[in-house]
Formats: sequence, structure tokens, C-alpha cells
Amino acid sequence: MFRKHDPMPLINLPTFATDMLADFEKLGTLRVDTPVIQPAEPFLDMAGEDLRRRIFMTESETGKSLCLRPEFTIPVCLRHIETATGTPRRYAYLGEVFRQRREGANEFYQAGIEDLGETDVAGADARAVSDAIAILRNRLPGVSLSVTLGDQAVFEAVVAACGLPIGWQKRLIHAFGNIAQIDALLTRLATPQPVTGLTADIEVLLASGDDDTLIAHLDETMELTGYSTNASRSPKEIAARLKEKRALARTALDGRTLDLLREFLSLSVPLADAPKVLFRFAETSGLKLDGALSRFDARVAALGNAGVDLSPLTYRAAFGRPLDYYTGLVFEVTVAGETAVLAGGGRFDRLMTLLGATTHIPAVGFALWLDRIEKPLQGRPPDDHHHRAALQGTDEGRCLRDFRTRRHEDRRRRQ
Amino acid sequence: MKIAAVGNERSYRGRVEGMDDIEIAFLSASEISREIGNGGVDFGVTGEDLVREGLADADARVEFCARLGFGHADVVVAVPEIWLDVDTMADLGDVASDFRARHGRRLAIATKYWRLTQQFFSAQHGIQLYRIVESLGATEGAPASGSADIIVDITSTGSTLKANHLKILSDGIILKSQACLVRARKPEHEGDLRVAEIIARVRGALA
Repeated sequence: MFRKHDPMPLINLPTFATDMLADFEKLGTLRVDTPVIQPAEPFLDMAGEDLRRRIFMTESETGKSLCLRPEFTIPVCLRHIETATGTPRRYAYLGEVFRQRREGANEFYQAGIEDLGETDVAGADARAVSDAIAILRNRLPGVSLSVTLGDQAVFEAVVAACGLPIGWQKRLIHAFGNIAQIDALLTRLATPQPVTGLTADIEVLLASGDDDTLIAHLDETMELTGYSTNASRSPKEIAARLKEKRALARTALDGRTLDLLREFLSLSVPLADAPKVLFRFAETSGLKLDGALSRFDARVAALGNAGVDLSPLTYRAAFGRPLDYYTGLVFEVTVAGETAVLAGGGRFDRLMTLLGATTHIPAVGFALWLDRIEKPLQGRPPDDHHHRAALQGTDEGRCLRDFRTRRHEDRRRRQ
Repeated sequence: MKIAAVGNERSYRGRVEGMDDIEIAFLSASEISREIGNGGVDFGVTGEDLVREGLADADARVEFCARLGFGHADVVVAVPEIWLDVDTMADLGDVASDFRARHGRRLAIATKYWRLTQQFFSAQHGIQLYRIVESLGATEGAPASGSADIIVDITSTGSTLKANHLKILSDGIILKSQACLVRARKPEHEGDLRVAEIIARVRGALA
């Protein structure tokens, strides 16, 4: 509900927008814009129903769900697929996004880079991190930044090397990044989970190991009760998971593995030391993590080669995003000692195919929160303030002119 | 507190005998939860499920003053009986996380309880990857007809679920609902003796 005297929010383009766009250009990216009104399906499909409460939705006359652009990654990726552009390609964007937030404005500016199709994974990861830092440094000279890095691929390797059953591996990987969820899972996995509630004839079928008869029985029951055997989960799928669950129930996660997983998840070290620490962890635990660790090491090396000062970078083993299209690197940049995320990014190698790309397209990118970047600037000493005020008029005017010209051109192109 | 209709017997307005400054409006159950939410009424009698579904942050905005002992119904997560491998929300989480890879779409839940479903699945069980298919009636038929995989619906005896070959997950009770006396939290209620009296007398009648 709206209070009567809610002040109208200021939605001016940040004064530094033009400079930021110039940075994007210098980095060799292609500037793209996407419609503000987007089909809602891809967002809900990728991020889940939870997003529904946080986006602004409406319906077209024909009943299609539409929403105001809540972020740029999905529209930029969809645009790439629709225009059938070749790869590799690096896109940059800067524009307004719309989200229902408890705190902060509901419409605000985001900018970012999406790097699609670069097969040099370590190099592309390093470039995403170094570009994000460089752009923030240009806007916030003298402000000390802090960067947190995580890597889902290392966690996946640890879980696999622990020799856990596939079912458990999937559960843990799925929860990666959600500490409470991982904790609850580890506790639950430490105790056996008996499968109960099965009828005697199903127990007999399971015990006999005769899969075909079990599947035929499920098939028959579904037919009898009016359930289609191909609209949802098939008899084969149900039988397979029932067997898997039975197998899981017999083994509880042993104490040593549990300790190893907890030890790994508690790692938080300067990134420069992280390869050494991870190799030592692999050695003392006896876990085979070679592939994932050499890729991790290659990324750290690539960051060094890109000239990134590693001292503000921290590797936190438990840091991740519990969405199924993130696959490797994740990172966040804040002002040192603060929590507001100025830039966040990561690798999402599964997103493009989920969105309908017919070939596998590796992807990495990051988004910048322009309203949060403006805040540290506002706390500047008066001198600096003057300087900014003097620039303000011209910057804003130039930006608006840019926007209008571009919009005009867009329209002409569409006609 | 004896309630009399105002005007003719079929009128949708009423009053409490001897308490002339209380006005009663007879509204549909879901309208009541909406009116409590926007402060259009001070008190309402309606189902807890409708209030919690209709209002974000319900406990901050309303007070459940008394549970009235009728209109019992549970909001539950129910899956096809034939899903022999799915007995808990954790099982459902496993199925949901794999669903897209196996079926090319997310797990579909038929329900009219958007908010309760989201809170229960996401906040309590960390399950994000599913889609809600809005269903305003005969929800329990959705899995058999193929329009959804599972349902979140209200049940009082469970017989409709059984008739449709659905089972409630062992930890799948989202809310045990019943009719409640609900108060809109308004600052002017502080120290209002009539407000305190209404609550006390309804509670007294239940004791």
C-alpha cells in the first residue's frame, strides 16, 4: 500500500553514466539495449517462482505474461540467441531495471558486461573480474574495494571426490551457496533415512531386483487410476528414483566425510594463497580434485597476468548462488568493510541452452548497481563535491542526448 | 452479544444489540481478509488461510485474536499416490531440481495459494525451481488431467484427495487453518475499551 506522501523517487541517470559507457567502449564491448517490457516466462523459469513477488508483472491483451525488465542478463542472452549472432561476443548494457524491494527504490539503474562464447574459460573469468574492478575504480578513485570469490566447480569436485552417491551429490550441489540449506542437508545426511510406507507387493518387487515388473506394475496402476504415463513423471523415472532412494537410505554420511565437507566449506583465504591452500586440503584429505584445482589455479594466474592486484580478493569456499545455471566462478565487489554489493557476477555456462540456444555457449558476466556506486560518492569531502557538481550539468545533458539519439535510431530501424 | 440484521432479514448489514457503535457487514470470506488488510474494517471473522494468503507480512498487519473452532481445513502439499519415491518435501526437492533436465520444463504446481506455496517451498524448504499454475477450482483434478504435476490445496477430511489418488507429504502440511476472529492492527485501537471488550467477550464465549 502507498502512503499518502511518498516522495516521488529520483530516477535521474547517474551523472557518471557517460563515463561508464566510455569505459565499456574502451574495453571493446558492444553496447546493446533491450526492451523494458519483457516476456515474464524466461525470468520465472530461470529464477523460480520466488521472483514473481519481486517483479512488476502484467498481461498482454492476449493473456501473455509480461514484466518490466528486472535485470539484463536474460534479455541480453535472449537477444543474442534471436539475432543468431556468432560468438565470441562481449555485450555491455546500461539502463533501468524494475524490482519490488523492501528497501531502496523500485526502479534503478544497472550496467554490466556479458561475455558469451569465449572458450578460454580462465581468461574470460579473469577479464570479468578485472573489468568489474577497473570500472568501479574509475568511478570510485581512492575508495578501497573488497572482492569475494567462490567457485561452484571446486565444490562439485569435492562432493564427487568424497564418493557420495549421485543423489546426495545433486542435493548438495543444488543447495550450494545457501549456507542454512547446506547445513540442514549435512545434518540430515549424517543419519540414515529409511524409506517407509511402501506396500508389501512393492517391497517384494524392489527386493527381487526385477525392474521390468516393477515398472509394469506402476504403469498399470497409473492407467487404472486415470493418470497419463507420459504427461508427468513416468513409471520408469519413479522406479529408478525409488531404487536410488532405497540405496541412499542404507548409507549414512560417515563422520570423516562430514568433517571434510565442513572443513572445506569453512575455508576463507586471500585469493593469492587459495591455490596453495586448496592443494594442501586435497593432499591431507586424500581427495582427488586435480581437474578443478588446476582450473582454479589457471584463473588465479590469469588474474595476475591481467595485472589485477590480488590483495583485496578473498576466496570463500562456501560462496555460490543456488540457481541451477551457475556453473563455476561467482564474485561480488563491495566497499571494504561494507555489505552493499556494488558489482556481482559469475559464470553461467548452462543458461544459454536453457534459454534455447542450440549449441553450448560458455558465458560469464557481471552487473553493476549504479545507485549503490553513487552512495560512496555522496560521502565525499566538499572539494570533490564541487568538482562533481561542475561536471554534473554537462554529463547529464550529454547522456540524455545520447539516449534520445539512440532511441530515435532504434525507432527508425524498426520502421 | 446478540446480532440483529439491519432492515430486512436478508440484509447484509447487522448490529450488535446494546452496542450501537458497532456496525457489522456480512461479506464473502476472501473479501473479509482484503478489508482487514486495507483497514476497511476493524475486526473480521474469516479463515486463517485466506488472511495469510491475501496479506504479505500478515502477523505485522493483523492479530489473530481467537480461533473459533469451526471451518477447520489444512493447506497441504499433495502428490500423485503413484509417486512411491516421494514422501517428504526433501524428496520433492530432489524431483524438482531434476525436473527441467528430464522433462524440458519446471515442476508445475496447481494452486490458488500463491503466497503460501512460495513461502513454504522457498523459505522453509529451499525449493525454488517450480512453476505455479493458477487453479481456481477442482485443483485436485489437475495432476490426473496433466495440467500440473502436484497440488497445494485445502482439505478437511482428505477424501477428495484420496478419490483423486493423491497423497499428502509427511511434512507437507503448510497451515492448519480454521475460522478466526482477526483484528486489523490500527494505532487507534490502543486503549480503546470497545476493542478490548470485543476480544474478551469472543474469547469468553469460547472458554
